[in-house]
Amino acid sequence: MARRDYAQDRESIKTFLAEFCKCDDDGKKEFVYGSQLVKLAHREQVLITIDLDDLAEFNESLAEAVIENCRRYAAIFSDVIAELLPSYKQQEVHAKDALDVYIEHRLMMDARTRNPMEQRDERNAFPTELMKRFEVGFKPQSTEKAHSIREVKAQQIGKLVTVRGIVTRCTEVKPMMVVATYTCDRCGSETYQPVNSLSFIPVQDCPSDDCRVNKAGGRLYLQTRGSKFVKFQEIKMQEHSDQVPVGHIPRSMTVLCRGEVTRMAQPGDHVLVSGVFLPMVRTGFAQMIQGLLSETFLQAHRIICINKNDDISDKDAELTPAELEELAQDDFYERLATSLAPEIYGHLDVKKALLLLLVGGVDKRPDGMKIRGSINICLMGDPGVAKSQLLGYISRLAVRSQYTTGRGSSGVGLTAAVMKDPLTGEMTLEGGALVLADQGVCCIDEFDKMADADRTAIHEVMEQQTISIAKAGIMTTLNARVSILAAANPAFGRYNPRRTVEQNIQLPAALLSRFDLLWLIQDKPDRDNDLRLAKHITYVHSHSKQPPSRIKSLDMNLMRRYINLCKRKNPTIPDELTEYIVGAYVELRREARNQKDMTFTSARNLLGILRLSTALARLRLSDRVEKDDVSEALRLLEMSKDSLNQIHEHQKGHVPNTSDRIFAIVRELAGSGKAVKIADIMDRCTTKGFKPDQVDKCIDDYEELNVWQVNMGRTKITFM
Amino acid sequence: MELPKTPDELSAQDLARCKQLLEDPAKWHSIPLLNHTPLHKLKDLGLVRFRGMVQDMMDPEIYLERYEIKSANGTTRLQEGKYRDCLRLAKEEQLDYNAESNVHGERRTLFVVSLPGQNAWAKEHEKECGPEMTTPPEGGIGVGIKRAFDEKEDMDIDSTDDVSTQKRQCKESPSTVSGAEKPTAVLGAEYLLNSPLPDRPSMACMIKVYEDFDKYTLNSLMDFVGFLSVDPALDAATLDVEAMQQMECLSELQAQNPSPFLIPRLHAFGVKSLAHANPLLDRSLLQPSVADVQADTVHKDLRMLLKLCLFEDDLAAEYLLSHLISTVYSRSEMQSIGKFALNLCNLPKDCLPKEYTRKLYEVMELLLPASHYLPMSLDTMNSAAFAPKKDYETNKLVSGLLQLAPHTHLVLDETHMQQGKLEANGVQAIQHLAHLINNQQLKCDFQYYQIDYNVDIPVLVLSEGRSMLPSDFVLPINADAKAVDMSEESMKAALHYLQPQRLQQFRSYLTLARTSEFSVSEELTETIQQYFVDMRKANVKSNADDLHGLLVLSRLLGISRGKVALDKETWHLATEYESKRRQRLQSLPKSSAQLRN
Repeated sequence: MARRDYAQDRESIKTFLAEFCKCDDDGKKEFVYGSQLVKLAHREQVLITIDLDDLAEFNESLAEAVIENCRRYAAIFSDVIAELLPSYKQQEVHAKDALDVYIEHRLMMDARTRNPMEQRDERNAFPTELMKRFEVGFKPQSTEKAHSIREVKAQQIGKLVTVRGIVTRCTEVKPMMVVATYTCDRCGSETYQPVNSLSFIPVQDCPSDDCRVNKAGGRLYLQTRGSKFVKFQEIKMQEHSDQVPVGHIPRSMTVLCRGEVTRMAQPGDHVLVSGVFLPMVRTGFAQMIQGLLSETFLQAHRIICINKNDDISDKDAELTPAELEELAQDDFYERLATSLAPEIYGHLDVKKALLLLLVGGVDKRPDGMKIRGSINICLMGDPGVAKSQLLGYISRLAVRSQYTTGRGSSGVGLTAAVMKDPLTGEMTLEGGALVLADQGVCCIDEFDKMADADRTAIHEVMEQQTISIAKAGIMTTLNARVSILAAANPAFGRYNPRRTVEQNIQLPAALLSRFDLLWLIQDKPDRDNDLRLAKHITYVHSHSKQPPSRIKSLDMNLMRRYINLCKRKNPTIPDELTEYIVGAYVELRREARNQKDMTFTSARNLLGILRLSTALARLRLSDRVEKDDVSEALRLLEMSKDSLNQIHEHQKGHVPNTSDRIFAIVRELAGSGKAVKIADIMDRCTTKGFKPDQVDKCIDDYEELNVWQVNMGRTKITFM
Repeated sequence: MELPKTPDELSAQDLARCKQLLEDPAKWHSIPLLNHTPLHKLKDLGLVRFRGMVQDMMDPEIYLERYEIKSANGTTRLQEGKYRDCLRLAKEEQLDYNAESNVHGERRTLFVVSLPGQNAWAKEHEKECGPEMTTPPEGGIGVGIKRAFDEKEDMDIDSTDDVSTQKRQCKESPSTVSGAEKPTAVLGAEYLLNSPLPDRPSMACMIKVYEDFDKYTLNSLMDFVGFLSVDPALDAATLDVEAMQQMECLSELQAQNPSPFLIPRLHAFGVKSLAHANPLLDRSLLQPSVADVQADTVHKDLRMLLKLCLFEDDLAAEYLLSHLISTVYSRSEMQSIGKFALNLCNLPKDCLPKEYTRKLYEVMELLLPASHYLPMSLDTMNSAAFAPKKDYETNKLVSGLLQLAPHTHLVLDETHMQQGKLEANGVQAIQHLAHLINNQQLKCDFQYYQIDYNVDIPVLVLSEGRSMLPSDFVLPINADAKAVDMSEESMKAALHYLQPQRLQQFRSYLTLARTSEFSVSEELTETIQQYFVDMRKANVKSNADDLHGLLVLSRLLGISRGKVALDKETWHLATEYESKRRQRLQSLPKSSAQLRN
């Protein structure tokens, strides 16, 4: 690589800072850096962040050079800015702190005593570090990918890299000396020593002309008022669990923060750190024993907490076009659903519902009233129907999740505990499972075995999405925007079809109604299913691997990223659909009244339908809810009811076939009239979980029986 | 061609050829084993071997692979930095950090502990198989001289004195370190050694590896060959406390740089992963020839022995034998296939006060290369560390007693449990155990998140009634009344029966069976599938787990009989055993908890 001409780069940086501008909405030019320089000059701003996107726009090769040799260019930028600043000063600046006053005084004194012809000792000149009251940071290009710590290797030394991880340890913020100022006890002259490393050797003898020529042997004393300090903090960060290969230990890295980038993160924060990867020069022990070793660290330029700022996602998580294409196939909904816990056979509708739970509906806040978007699901079923496995899978797939069992966790486990800090004696709130899973999924196994006190807490969480805590004199409300996925065993060992749902799992109706979907998973012997399962298991045992399936299940990581992508969408429900939804809801209510339904239908169901349909729209990455989404949501609701009711039908002895059931629906639609639109029939039937071809078949069957007639355009049927 | 004796010899030779030399078991075997050789018999920078389990992995180190040294008179020379810890500097010499010819390399440090839970016989055998360790001719005080000779080749005379004085210091310091705890040391030796089983301490060694970084996984068993490094300067505890006061990471520094006499360093260039921990079948150890193992007869003898120990219960003997040879042979996202967690319950009450469980374990201990017996008393559950936990103060993964190498049998004795309160630690311990049994995974606590590591630890639970822990197979023992009375005598007889010759046979048989291949023929799968469908029809409650269990059991029954493929006979045997076992379970008195479910 050709050596860069630094003098020339200096000039172009100068032009960049002075002239770079962006057009704002009104078409007016806005000098991004020029305006910041003004602020810097007036000491209203300390940190100036150079966006490498802007620099690349201005001069691409220069931006590349900055990434390659970041530390050097940071120094150049800082020098250039120092040079430019006086010209940006528009008014007299009031001194902000002692150092400002000090600098002002020294400059005045210097101007007074200085003989322009005199040769001056360089040591006694004011070092630029002392005069600079600003900091320069770089913001990496937006195309830059976030690395995991193990990807940062020796080749990256000196370069600007972005690393993702979790903060494990922070030191306190301490002052670090940047310029040491000394006064001589004989001649009184001041000497400055810039400090670049973590330690320095103090100067002892006065280098001023007076002392040197006179051999006065003046001693120097460190003077804190005139020295410049900068905030300094050392952070340890560690890889996140999804970046660790199987069977390895997470790596960690030291990050050094100076000035304005200190106090940006706390232990436990997920962070993106951009900085320069550098070898560390340490003294003392490290040097003594391990002259061979050089430690490395990241000199931070920018730290962003990911968990606090959801908009900023790292490029790492973005899907590649190839992956998107793979996902965008027609059957993606089925594929995504079957890819959930592929080891568990069947239960496609349950899996679809769980998929929607992961994606979640849209939160709404009309006029301060908050309507939750997160979907709650309760799975019920006889012991040993893979409920726990489903829960376990979901808790592993969800980005933020907590898995608890109702029996194992005490009250503290699910809500929050007040803890006393052993060091400070301070009372702190330790989040329980629900708080920890904020913005995630909380899986509760053995929901029926949970203590009543915790269940009460869950009431609040499920509707208000907050937790109120009144413990040890602390009263507070914590956010707990969680989806709850619960699994419950029937109260009497097996599900008793003669009793209602509430009786079966012994949970109050008020709590049950808060679940958007209740699902009864049953394990009935079924020859075909059993044979398929047996084939699967024997294959696994004899070939030591999973059998190739028709639908290739998706990789967990890909699913996770896709779900993340979905969550960013905020689809809305168009007005023309409201009527349809309202109609469907009224129908649901009416039916519940008529049939003495074992399940519960309330206004919450309407919200549930809205949540499910917005989740479906999100899943399609669409900004609008379509009619199909609503009908699929209705179908899921219907299927979940079916799963609870189907046992009752078995008991009746006579099982009407699909055509008969569809016929009944059509009769009902027709009411006293004679003609019914086929489109209406389709709508009604699909919401009840019938497929269009089943409806078509029914229409054909009954036409053959001469029960009704179908018109030529196949839009309307008329009863005979 | 000979194996290199020092790092310098290795860098002079071709690395690939040296590795080739190591392929020869005799050569591999000729290297002294650090596990069983006292440090004073080895010399610094000499070639040694260490066998053990990877307990922790540290962050990568960037080191100077080659560096330039400036001496006082201005001459410069190059020095190799690979396979060593300390700079080789003589007096007046200085390292030139900014020299163009400096080459940086990357290496990793693995924290390896000798196989946790290794049984006495295996240790003894490994030791006997090692090379004769008479004091090496150039060992002892000779070390300094030997080094001096080395130095002379490329260093001027006055520097040698310096090196050898340094050496002498190194010889003196072990006594001081191993004696009284230095006041500067912040961390105790026990913490630094980090043994998974605190009551059976392991030896620890820090292995520096230079290539194939991704090959090493946590908890795997490995055999390393490389150069020992025990320079006392490596000990952070020898440092001046005053100077260190302001350093925040003092405890981390000390944890990462423990005394080399407590935890020696080894710079590895040859690595072998071990498929099993049985030294009897290890090709890298010089073996007295083993008599041919006849699977049939050995199987019969072993079954008889186990039957004797299990109150003449043949079924229990069959299941215990299957348990002893079980291994996880396939894994998917949710399942670990091949695990055989066994719960032997319904142990006769009369035998328990006579320490029956411990005696049973003693027999197992004689058969297995590595195992651990854990009496599950309230006290142990509440106080012991089970799963490894990351300590961010020292940046170490603090081990727990579940961090065991593959095929280390864990015997949980639930008969020691009393009524009382399980504290938070105890509840977590139970959860960890259940997770281990169900998934064969170990959850390591990294405070901000947990990571699952795959393990292969067969778990045997001994309990009076049904165990509170989950298990794949619960088998109530049908004790013969006469055998119960005779139990003490039969245990004695069993120990007497285990003559060295027979023991060797049993030990080899168990390991061979565990590592053998087994297949299921296409036609038989049809029968199996049909069986499952019928089973489901007959009993609604039966589910996929039952089929998994049957397949695993039939496989193990086949293997134990020396078969390589599943046949009808074995399959029928398995189904028969399972139905017998189920019958026994049915007749077990139901507890109130089960009635509720």
